[in-house]
Amino acid sequence: MPRRWLIGLCATVVLVVALAGESSRAQEHAPVPDVLISRQLAEAFGLDSGDVVQFSNEQSGAAAREFRVRGIYEPTPDPLELNDTKFKARLHLPDLLALTARPDDPLAAEIVDGLNISLTNPADAEAFSRDLMARVPGVFAQPIERVMSRASVFVVLERFHFAIALVTIFASTVFLLALSVMLVDERRETVGVLRLIGLTTRRVLAQVFLEGLVIAVAGALFGLVLALASERVINLYFQWHYNTALIFVRVTPAVAFQCLLIAVPLGVVASVSASWMLLRRQVMSLARR
Amino acid sequence: MNAFRFAWRSLIRQPARASLGVIGVAAVGALLFDMLMLSNGLVLSMQTLLGRSGFTLRVSAAGSPLPGTGQPISDSTETAAAIAALPEVAAAVPVRFANSRILRDAWERAIDADLVGIDQAQRRIWTLVEGGDLGSAGLAGRALVNENLAALLALEIGDMVHLQANCGMGISAAPAVHLPLAGVADFELDDSDDLTVALTLQDVDRACGGEGRDAADQILINAADGVPDQEARVAIERHRPDLQAFTNAQLVARLQEGGLSYFRQISLVLTTVTITFAFLLVTVLLTVSVNQRVGEIAVLRALGLSQRRVIADVFCESVLLVGTGALLAVPIGFVLARGLDRILKAIPGVPDELHFFVYEPRALWIHVALFSATALLAAAYPMRMVANLPIAGTLRREVIG
Amino acid sequence: MTVVEARDITRVFPMPAAPVVAVRGVSIRIEAGDYVALCGPSGCGKSTLLHLLGCVDMPTSGALFFEERDVAGLNDRQRSRIRLRRLGFIFQRFFLLPMLTAAENIALPLSEAGVSRPEQERRTAELLNYVGLSARAEHRPSQLSGGEMQRVAIARALANRPALLLADEPTGELDQATGEQIAALLDRVNADGTALVVVTHDPAFAKRSRRTLTMRDGTILLEETRP
Repeated sequence: MPRRWLIGLCATVVLVVALAGESSRAQEHAPVPDVLISRQLAEAFGLDSGDVVQFSNEQSGAAAREFRVRGIYEPTPDPLELNDTKFKARLHLPDLLALTARPDDPLAAEIVDGLNISLTNPADAEAFSRDLMARVPGVFAQPIERVMSRASVFVVLERFHFAIALVTIFASTVFLLALSVMLVDERRETVGVLRLIGLTTRRVLAQVFLEGLVIAVAGALFGLVLALASERVINLYFQWHYNTALIFVRVTPAVAFQCLLIAVPLGVVASVSASWMLLRRQVMSLARR
Repeated sequence: MNAFRFAWRSLIRQPARASLGVIGVAAVGALLFDMLMLSNGLVLSMQTLLGRSGFTLRVSAAGSPLPGTGQPISDSTETAAAIAALPEVAAAVPVRFANSRILRDAWERAIDADLVGIDQAQRRIWTLVEGGDLGSAGLAGRALVNENLAALLALEIGDMVHLQANCGMGISAAPAVHLPLAGVADFELDDSDDLTVALTLQDVDRACGGEGRDAADQILINAADGVPDQEARVAIERHRPDLQAFTNAQLVARLQEGGLSYFRQISLVLTTVTITFAFLLVTVLLTVSVNQRVGEIAVLRALGLSQRRVIADVFCESVLLVGTGALLAVPIGFVLARGLDRILKAIPGVPDELHFFVYEPRALWIHVALFSATALLAAAYPMRMVANLPIAGTLRREVIG
Repeated sequence: MTVVEARDITRVFPMPAAPVVAVRGVSIRIEAGDYVALCGPSGCGKSTLLHLLGCVDMPTSGALFFEERDVAGLNDRQRSRIRLRRLGFIFQRFFLLPMLTAAENIALPLSEAGVSRPEQERRTAELLNYVGLSARAEHRPSQLSGGEMQRVAIARALANRPALLLADEPTGELDQATGEQIAALLDRVNADGTALVVVTHDPAFAKRSRRTLTMRDGTILLEETRP
C-alpha cells in the first residue's frame, strides 16, 4: 500500500515543527519544563545545556512553549532511521501532550499514539494481543516481533550483500588462478629440472602446497589489515555523511575468521591446481626452453 | 600481420591465462553493469510506477513531508471538485487510507488488511482482474479486494466482506461493515504480501464511525492536456495555500534524498571497486606477459618493427582482453541483475511492480566508457616497459640467461 | 659500396662497480658482398660490436655510418626502418615467435614493410624453398628441429632483401652436422650477394669467411684476409 510504504521510507514524524526564537539564559523567567535535545539539533542551532528554547506544534510557530535544555543526548543509532531527521527532542509526556493537544478537544490530553506494555511472561505476547483487541474494539495490539519485522529490510540487504560477495569471491578466485598459472609458468624450467633429477610429482606438489599456504596466509592477513583500515575510513565517512553514530562496517572476529577460512584454502587450491596442470606435462617439455 | 591479429595470436598462445583474464573481467564487468543499472534503476522504476495510473500530481495538507503522511484533508469531495474545476487540472480524485480487520471465521482470527477509500472518476489506481469495479461516486455498498486477500479468504464474487476499520483517531468502537465483493483487482503499489481492500469514500467514512468528516489523506491529480505538471502544481497551491502539491518528479526526488540514497552509495562504491579490480587484473596479466616475452620483443625491434608497432601490440592485447570480458559481462549482468532484483524485492513494503535494476542506454555507454579507459590505463605500464626496452641489453641477457 | 662503416667507435656500459668498456676505438668497414667473421674469447665485445653495426645499439663515442648516413643523426624510427629494410639478424637462440607458423614468422618483416599480401605469400614461398623447408611452412617452431628453426630464422632475416646479414653465433646451439648445414646456407646467402658479418667461436666456421677479425678486450687485435 502506498501510504505504509511511503512512511516506511520517509522521516518519522517529528514533533518539533518549528524551533522558534533564540536561545536565552532567561533566569528571570519562571521555572520552565525540561527537555533533552539530540546532539544534531544542538549543533545545528548552537544550543547548550541550560538554554531556553521554544517549541511549537504549529507551522507558524504560534502557541509556542518554553523549555529548558536539560541535556544533550546522542540518538540511538537506528539504521531504519538513517535518512530521517536527527533533530529530536524528548519531553515529559504531560508536557508533550500539553504542547500538541488541540484546544477544542477535551480528551486531547488523554490521547497517546501507543502504549508499550511489558508482560510478566513475554511468551504470552501473541495471546495477550488477541485478547486485548477482542476486549477493546478499535485497539490494535501486536507483539514487538511483528513491529521489528521492519528489520527484515536489513535481512534482505544482508542477503544482497552476500550475493555481491559471492560474485567478488568468484572474480577474486579467477584472478588468483590467473596469477598462479603465470607464476607457475615462470618456474617451469626449475620444476622441469627438479623432476629431471628425480624428485617425484608428489614431492614437488608438497613444496608448492607449503609455499601456497605461506603466501595465502600472509595474503589473507594482509587483507585483514587492509579491511580493518578501510573499516575505519568507511565508518568515518558515512558517519559524517549521515551525521550519525551508527557503525556501518564492523570486522568482527567471526567475519575475520570467515575471510581466513575462504581466502587461505582458495589460495592454496589455486597454486596447487595450477602446479598440478603443469606437472602433468612431460618432464622434457618442462625443462626445454 | 596487423597488431590486432598479432595480439590475438599472443593471447591464445597462453589459453589458460587469457581465458582466466577474460572470465575475471567478465565477472566484475557484470557486477559493474548491474551497479550502473542500480544507480538510477529505482528512480526510473518509481517514475514508471507512479505514472502508470495517469495521475501526475498528489495533493496533501501543507507541511506533509510526503503525500499522505501529514494531516488529512477535510471536506475532500468539495476540495477535489474545486481543484478539478481549475483550468490546469483535468481530474482530482480524493483517496483515504486506513487499517482494517477482515473477519475470518471469528473476529479473534481476523486478518489485518490495508483499507483504501476512493471515488473513481475516470482513472484507477488498480487494474481489475475479476468481477466488477467499485463504480463512480454515489454507488456505494460494494468492496474490491486484491488477489492475496481473495485467495486467503477464499472469496468469490458476491460473497460478503465483513470489515472493521481503524481510522487512526484513537480508540474507537466503530461497528463492522458488511459489503458484497464486487471484484478482485491488482493494486499498483501493492507488494507481494499486501492484503488490500478498497471501498468508496462514503463506505470508508461509514466504516470509520460515520462522522461525516469526508476526510482524505491525499488527492490524486491529473493535469490538463498540454499543461506542465509544475504549472498545475502552482495553480493548486495558489488556489488553496493550505494544501501542498507534489509532482511525480518531486516525489521521486524527495525519496531519492532519503531512503534511496543507500543504493546510489553502494552503486558508486561497487562501481569503483569492480573497475579497480579489472584494471589490476589486466595490468598484472599484461605486465607478466610482457616480462616473459622481453626477448621476443627485443628481437622484433631488432628485426625492424618500430617502437609504435610493439606498443600497439601490447595495447591491442589489452583491448582484446578487456573488450571480450566487457562484452560477455553484459548478458551475464542481465542475468545477475534479475537475481539481485529478486533478492531486493523481498524488502517489506516494496511494490511488486517496482524494480531496483532497470536497464537504460546510459548504463551501457558508461560501461563501455569505463572499460575503454580501463583497457588503456591497464596497458599503460606494460606499454611503457616495451617502449623503454633496451634492445641490445635485452638480447644480451636473453643469450646469457 | 660501403654498407656500414665504424670510425673509432667505443661503447662503455656504466656499471655500479666501474664502467665496462665493451668496445674500444674500433674502426671497421663492411663492403657490399663482404663475408666477415668476428672471433675472440667470451666477453671480448664481439656481440656488442655486432649490435652497434646493426643499429641496435648506439656507440658512446665515435662515428657510425650506414650506407653513408650518419646513424647518430637518425631517430629510433629511422633506425628501425634501416633494420627492417636493409639489415637482417640471426641469433644463436633462433628467437622465432612460437605462436606463429614458419611461414608467418618469415612473413612478419614483409608485413611490417607494407608488402602486399600476394607478394608476401610469393616471397615467403620463395624463401622457404631457398632454405629447403617448403614442406614445413605451416609448422610451428615447437614442431621444428634446431637446424630447421635456424633456417626459418635465416629466411626471415632475408625477407626484405637486406644489404647486410648479421649473425650472432648462428650455430651455437646446433650439433656439428647441423651447424655445417647452416654454415653452408650462409655461404650461399653471401654468394648471392648479401654481405655477412658472423660472430662465432668456431674456428672452422670462421675460416669460411673472407675476413676474420679477432677481438680481445674490446679491440680488434688481428685481421686475416683470405682470397
